[in-house]
Amino acid sequence: MEDATRKSGDLWSGVALAALGLYIIIQAGQWEYLGPEGPGAGFFPLWYGVAILALSVLLVVSHLKRGSARGDATDWNKLGRALSTWLALAVSVALFKPLGFVISFALLTYCIVAVMYRRPLATAALTAVASAAGFYLVFDRALGVPLPVGVLGF
Amino acid sequence: MKSASSLIALVALLCAPLSFAQGFKPTRTVDLVVHTGPGGGSDVLARAIAIMVEKEKLLPVRLQVINKPGGNGAVAAAHLAEKRGDQNTLGLFTGVWLQTPLVSAEAKVTLRDLTPIARLVLEPAVIAVKADSPYKTLAEFIGAARKNPGQLKQSGGSNTSRDNVVRQLLQKSTGTRWAFISFPGGGERIAALLGGHVDIMVIEPEEAGEHIRAGNMRVLAQVSERRLAKFPEIPTLKEAGFDVPVVPQVRGVVAPPGIPKENVEFWQDFFRRLTRTQSWRKYIEDNQFEDGYQNAADLAKFYEEFTDRMREILKDAGVKTVR
Amino acid sequence: MEILAGLFHGFAVALEPANLFWCFVGVLLGTVVGILPGLGPPATIAMLLPLTFNMNPAGAIIMLAGIYYGAKYGGSTTSILMNVPGESASVVTCLDGYQMAKKGRAGPALGIAAIASFVAGTVGVLGLMLVAPPIAKFALSFSSPEYFALMSLGLALVVLLAGRSIVKALLAALVGLWIASVGTDLFSSTSRFTFGQMELLSGIDFVVVAIGVFALAEVMVNMEAREETQLLPVPKGLKNLLPTMQDLKDCRFAFLNGSVIGFLVGALPGGGSTIASFLSYGLEKAVSPRREQFGTGVIEGVAAPEGANNSETGGALVPLLTLGIPGSGTTAILLAALVLWGFKPGPLFIPEHPALFWGLVASMYIGNVMLLILNLPLVPLFAQVLRMPVYVLYPLILGVSMVGVYSVSGSLFDLLLLLVFGLLGYLMRKLDYPSAPLILGLALGAGMERALRQSLMMSEGKLSILVARPISAVMLSFAVLVLLIPMFGKLNAWRLRALEQD
Repeated sequence: MEDATRKSGDLWSGVALAALGLYIIIQAGQWEYLGPEGPGAGFFPLWYGVAILALSVLLVVSHLKRGSARGDATDWNKLGRALSTWLALAVSVALFKPLGFVISFALLTYCIVAVMYRRPLATAALTAVASAAGFYLVFDRALGVPLPVGVLGF
Repeated sequence: MKSASSLIALVALLCAPLSFAQGFKPTRTVDLVVHTGPGGGSDVLARAIAIMVEKEKLLPVRLQVINKPGGNGAVAAAHLAEKRGDQNTLGLFTGVWLQTPLVSAEAKVTLRDLTPIARLVLEPAVIAVKADSPYKTLAEFIGAARKNPGQLKQSGGSNTSRDNVVRQLLQKSTGTRWAFISFPGGGERIAALLGGHVDIMVIEPEEAGEHIRAGNMRVLAQVSERRLAKFPEIPTLKEAGFDVPVVPQVRGVVAPPGIPKENVEFWQDFFRRLTRTQSWRKYIEDNQFEDGYQNAADLAKFYEEFTDRMREILKDAGVKTVR
Repeated sequence: MEILAGLFHGFAVALEPANLFWCFVGVLLGTVVGILPGLGPPATIAMLLPLTFNMNPAGAIIMLAGIYYGAKYGGSTTSILMNVPGESASVVTCLDGYQMAKKGRAGPALGIAAIASFVAGTVGVLGLMLVAPPIAKFALSFSSPEYFALMSLGLALVVLLAGRSIVKALLAALVGLWIASVGTDLFSSTSRFTFGQMELLSGIDFVVVAIGVFALAEVMVNMEAREETQLLPVPKGLKNLLPTMQDLKDCRFAFLNGSVIGFLVGALPGGGSTIASFLSYGLEKAVSPRREQFGTGVIEGVAAPEGANNSETGGALVPLLTLGIPGSGTTAILLAALVLWGFKPGPLFIPEHPALFWGLVASMYIGNVMLLILNLPLVPLFAQVLRMPVYVLYPLILGVSMVGVYSVSGSLFDLLLLLVFGLLGYLMRKLDYPSAPLILGLALGAGMERALRQSLMMSEGKLSILVARPISAVMLSFAVLVLLIPMFGKLNAWRLRALEQD
């Protein structure tokens, strides 16, 4: 199952990387390759761009030759949990500006404990408050490391 | 009666600039924004200023250094531009704030978009070779470059750095050509010269000082209008027979756009007083800077001239400018 | 004899109660900022600089140097416990350190990191004391072609970091090279791959990528499982929390390797502890009889890079104190500090200020002992972190990652980058692309491009400069050798398969 995911992943990631390689080559083509002062800004990117393109084509071709494993067995459930963690993190980063680190981080923690791990709400609330307070005390108060500040001033 | 009133008028006249300056006084901690991380050149200068301000009791409030690194100065400049009208923020700029917007389209904030306050220092430079180099004068080096075009090498910073500007000006005025090799750090530039991998470099006198004293380095000429106190016998570029403009390396202070006129007057006056203190004099002497104080109006004029000249030099050097 | 007299004098300085106190303050502070991701020695030293003006310079430099090498000790802690690299020099420590923690061997990993740091840190000081002048000369003989060869040798290690597929490892490394070239090109001031973002003009911070790809991706993978089973096992009892005799025996070569590589690379003005740690890890893996177990939690894989990044301190002080040339951000600020106190670091520094130099050297011996005594008892304490339930631990790791990134530049933009690279790291894990080569490519990319272009400028475009110089030729042939070894293996396997099919 994992192997099947991996193999069809080879195809798509290979195509994506080939596109990246192409993009790098096109960009590098706009910059000087060899100028009067020596190798220009496009010199190095052109070469690794070509290498990315070549290797990703190799990856795709070897995948096609092997014959793709039918039945994409990606575990969407697992993927969903991982991606929602990422999304929760992204939302909390977005909230840094209005709410500041302490509140956003408490919300993130609450969300992970209560929603992702289905712990009792009291446990979640306690964990959230305790860890957010801990970060504030350790970093902001004790060590003087600035944390993102919201409109409320902390 | 008449003499008394004229006396009052005289006193009033004398006090006028003072009372003007008293129109504004910072009431809370003032942020001094720098474009380097802690420990970078501007950061060290900003922290030194903060210490002097405290020691000489020049301000009723504290100066606090804020690091806004990134974007080759563009992030710090943009931060100031966003603080439009903020009365408790200042920025310590260097040449990179002027050069980055010239070559990077992404860096949209120029000094014209901020409020100039004062120019503080000029950093002179010297042209140095390794002690066992065959070149005893700049003319000898230029002569060798003429004989072997493109063979000699200079180590320096980026292509917009003063190092390259000096080279471009010299190449143009003498019709010669030598290679310019960029290194990101000052340490690597010096190591390349001392290791004999390059032939010449433009270096700050403070950096060169110990290498000269130890007999590892020799100075051919100085990039300044007048001879520096510590190099009385070394000719300036002009004296060495190379009449090229001296492009100064500057550091100074700007404020966010849209601040009241009396704030500008307060701050330019404050920095003038700072540059007159004993601690400041010692600091610039230790670092072999030149006193480069200019008030806000002169700094604005300086900026325009500097930018025009820089743009021209960069164009000559084949560097693409975007504004 | 001269050295003995100097050292004797140095200990007299370093053992003065005040200096002993400042040394302790420095190493303690260093350990703390090392443990915290992001906040590094340069920032700490810069902030403390104003306080040192009223101190006696010997005490001040002893303290600031203590912060510098103390941070190298602390840096491994979050790498091992959370897969969050504490400093750029501890990124490599994640590879095997975190795997050891997952196997319940967090204690020995933390312990060996402290011991390797002590051994190599002390060797680094010995080197600074005994061979500084010849090493400085060696460092000056290094120029762009040699740096290019060194970086190539480093990049060749990619094949050793590869998982199942060499093609994928190479692709990951190439993407690392691409990320490294984001920003303003030093030579031409061209903006490359900045997507119109001014924040990207100065490039992407190495630590941001490493934290995203390692720590964030790890949390995401772990969050996949609904059941919160795998509380990381932490054995009870002090005995199981410290490295065993067998562990120490396994690390014999790693101590030596880390010490030597760290010192030599550290002494190069264009070197640095990140490259040193990668190189010593690569060398350790290349010569190890259990090469294929690297990356699954072998103790040498922690000892070698941790040793290297500590020995690097002694190495980095060589060009600083003998030539007045700073090689890294931290030594640059130490240089600024010396200038602010009225000293002139340069070729004459040691002969003219012997008390300061020897006092510093002696204090570094003392400081390393203090750090060992300070850090070993912390091991069981830190290992307890892993006893926390996962639903507390994972938010904690996310929080530490975010604060770590934010404290580097104070910019929300870097947090967005962290998110991007977290997602990238997760996708790479899912698609079976190894992440270590990406980090390696990123760590070496910028330096490699620079060195190549500098070399070609020096030679007016002739590639022969890279092989015409002896040091560079030797290193390049090593790089080719490293690249070829697994190819031979592959070729062999392919030949065998072909034979079977016939």
